[in-house]
Formats: sequence, structure tokens, C-alpha cells
Amino acid sequence: MKHLTPINKKARLVDQAVENGHLDEVVAMQVVVGCASTMDPGWEVDPFGSVAALCAPMEADLYGCSDPCWWPAQVPDTINSYPDWNAKAASAQNDWRALQSVFPKD
Amino acid sequence: MKTHANGVRPMRIRRSISHLGGLLAALLLAASPAAAKDYLLTGAKPDKLVLVDAAARKVERVLTIPGGGVAPGTIVPSSDGRIAYVVSNHMGSVSGIDLDSGKQVFRADFSTGDLRVRSLFGMDVSPDGKELYVFQAPVRMLPGEYRVEDTRIAVYSTADGVGAKPVRLLPAPRRVAVLAFSRDGGTLWALGWDLYGLDPKTGAVKETHKVLNWSRANHSPPDVLDIWPQFEQAATLSTPYFTARTDLAATDPGAFRTGLMTLDLATGRMDMRDFEDTSAVIFSSVVSPVKRTEAYSVYTQLTKIDTDGGKLVKRVDLPHTYYSINVSSDGKEVYVGGTACDIGVYGTDTLDRVGQVEIAGCPDQGIASLRVIRR
Repeated sequence: MKHLTPINKKARLVDQAVENGHLDEVVAMQVVVGCASTMDPGWEVDPFGSVAALCAPMEADLYGCSDPCWWPAQVPDTINSYPDWNAKAASAQNDWRALQSVFPKD
Repeated sequence: MKTHANGVRPMRIRRSISHLGGLLAALLLAASPAAAKDYLLTGAKPDKLVLVDAAARKVERVLTIPGGGVAPGTIVPSSDGRIAYVVSNHMGSVSGIDLDSGKQVFRADFSTGDLRVRSLFGMDVSPDGKELYVFQAPVRMLPGEYRVEDTRIAVYSTADGVGAKPVRLLPAPRRVAVLAFSRDGGTLWALGWDLYGLDPKTGAVKETHKVLNWSRANHSPPDVLDIWPQFEQAATLSTPYFTARTDLAATDPGAFRTGLMTLDLATGRMDMRDFEDTSAVIFSSVVSPVKRTEAYSVYTQLTKIDTDGGKLVKRVDLPHTYYSINVSSDGKEVYVGGTACDIGVYGTDTLDRVGQVEIAGCPDQGIASLRVIRR
């Protein structure tokens, strides 16, 4: 590994694992991990095959679904990776303009 | 939690008023447990605990939960109504907040070392107030792998205060979202795919009421989504369930059925009874402490249910979706909360909206529990 230089956090952890003799613990990830303790597909259809019986307005449901990671694919993960995504937007209905897209970073 | 004195104490006080001077009577009223009234307890983003005087339709106190987080989650009041335990810090901690002083008197941070631990929903306190039970999902953060560990119930001694560590770790089935103590404290009920009666000392499953694994002929396994602890008023845990008739065509109006599961926390008796062909989504429900065969449920409609007869009694539209619902001690009002920044008050007879409380600044309540305490 002497010809390789780690450039992100995970690579540094792999490097440390090699140095500490923990190489066996490094295995490929097989599934999406992190917040996805519940795995709903996201903004759903209702039980009647339409959208009329979904939460109304959608903003009433946004934080109840995103904070416990019900919609892990559509909104940032406030349990693990983007804890403060909605910290400055206490009201989804009034403050939605403050909710930004997020991008992975080291 | 202080139990209502069933009218005995108010009667005594009324007699006292006729014999004593006004000042003395007023003092007695202020000092007597009979002066206790209903307060609602909810949370608001990002880190607030909100105490509401239900009858006055007024926010009494807004308290700050220290230590980070953007969404207060499950709230459990202590048995004397003085302390509220609330999951916070991105579901990584529980804080006990003194409702009078606003001070944090208990704190447990779940994660240790490379073990990241979260508690999504299930939590309850023993009836004697001495132990707090928290359902936890640990994940081992290895250098190149997240390893999911077995779920567990961490037991904390409430006397350990800030910095509390578990005094016991109990094995627990996966997917548990509600913990509820039996009234006598002898059983800790855990609602997951089935309803497990656990020994609070060892975590051993003493009995199981089948829910998802029911054996009802010609019915699909019931679908249950319950993360709301709303059982304190009638000592009855309840939740809606949804099932499909497998012997009917999907186009048959009777092919999809909605019912209510109830668990009497005094006797352990559990019942699952349909009450309508599925015609509305329902998130959560509560049983009346006065008319114990009457339940109310909530989503974008408020519904009154006859649990004994298995019938829908009445349904009205709400101004927006609410997650949670609770009921007054006299059974005359229901409160709908969660989601946005208001709590709607409805009369149980007519389901008319008779009041509302709005939290200043309009922060969302999100998934915070809506509890009733008497103080």
C-alpha cells in the first residue's frame, strides 16, 4: 500500500486497519447503509392507488418522515450524515426555502 | 402520574367552601391534589419540550432540551408528572427535563466507542418511576463495514441523573416501536411484528399476542404502523391495523378492512376487531378513559370508533394531517397533534373543533409524542 495515498476518511481508515492488522475487517459493503433502518420508497402512492389520501399538505409529513429516516432516498439523513440539514427550518411549511440540497463530502 | 381521585376529593372541597372563608378555600384549592388538571406534553423542532394547559388552550412553558438534535422524539412523563424523558440528539440520547425548573436532571448518551446506538421510538418508565426502558438499535462502525448488532432494551436507573449508563441490557425482538408497562409493572409490553410481554428484569418473553403472525382465515397479515405512545389515559394501548380479505376480489368494497388492536394494560387482554371497510388512512388512536369502548383515531380525518361493536361512529375532516392523538381525563375532549405547530381540540360527542393551541414561532412538532399529564 506504500504507493497509495489515502485521500478521504474511509481510505485513511483502511490504511489504519492495514497498519493495525485488522485487514480482515475491511469488506465490501453490500447494501445501502446508514439511515435506512426503515426502507420506504419515498413519496408514496396511497393505499387506494392515488395521492389524495397522502398526508396533507406534504409539509405536515416532511419532518416526521425525514427525521426518523422514513424517506432515506429523497431527503438527507439527519440521524447520521447530515444532522443539521433542517436545523434552521423548524417549520417545513414556512421555512422550506431554507432546505438545501446536500452533496457528499469527505 | 397522579391518578384522578374519581370525584371524591372535589366533593370534599366543595363542602369545605361552604364552611370556610373564601381565602382559606382558595388556599385549599391551590394546595389540594384536586386542583390538578390536564396538561399536554409535546415536542417542537429543533430542541423544545412544550407544556400546554389543555383547558386554557395555552402554552404554559417551553423548555430547551440541551445537547443537540433537530427533532424531539418519544416523550415519556415520569409517574409523578414532574419529569419528562425525551429522545433527542438525533435519536442518540435521552434527556430527563424537570418540568418546573426546566433543568436537565437525567441524561443518557447511547453510543460508546465504535458502537453507534440509536433509539427510534420505543421507551417507557416503570410505574414506580425508578427505571427507564429504552429500545435501542446498535450498529458497530468498523473500518470498512457497518455491522448491525442485535437490538436490545437498555434499562437506566432514573436516580443516576446526568451521565447515566445502562444498569441492564435486555435482549429484545427486532422492529419494536412501542414499549408500554403493564399497570402493575410486572410486564413490559413491546409492540413489533407481534405484541411481546417481556419480563422487565430479564427481557424474557413471557407471552406473545400474535399480530402480524395471526392465523385469521382468509385474511392477509395485518399491517400495523404504530410509533405513538398514547396509552396513559385509559391504560390501554391501541393501534389501527389494515388487512386484506384473500377470499374476495380486490375490486370488492369489503376486500380491505380496517380494525383496532387494543391491549388492556391492567389485565393484559388483547383484542383485534375490524370496524370498517378501509376508506381512510389512520395513523394512531387512543381509547377513552371514561367510555372505555370508545376510541378516536387520527390522520387527515378524526374518527370515532365503537370498539365493542366494531363500528365507525363518526368521521370529520381535519385542516391538515396530524400524527398523534390523546384524550382528556374526563373523556370530553380529544387533542390532535404532531406534524405542524398546532394542537387541535375536538369535543368527543360531536367531533366539533372547540379550540386550538399554537406553539409560538410555529415550529413543527414532527414525530414528538403527545402525552397527557396531571399536575
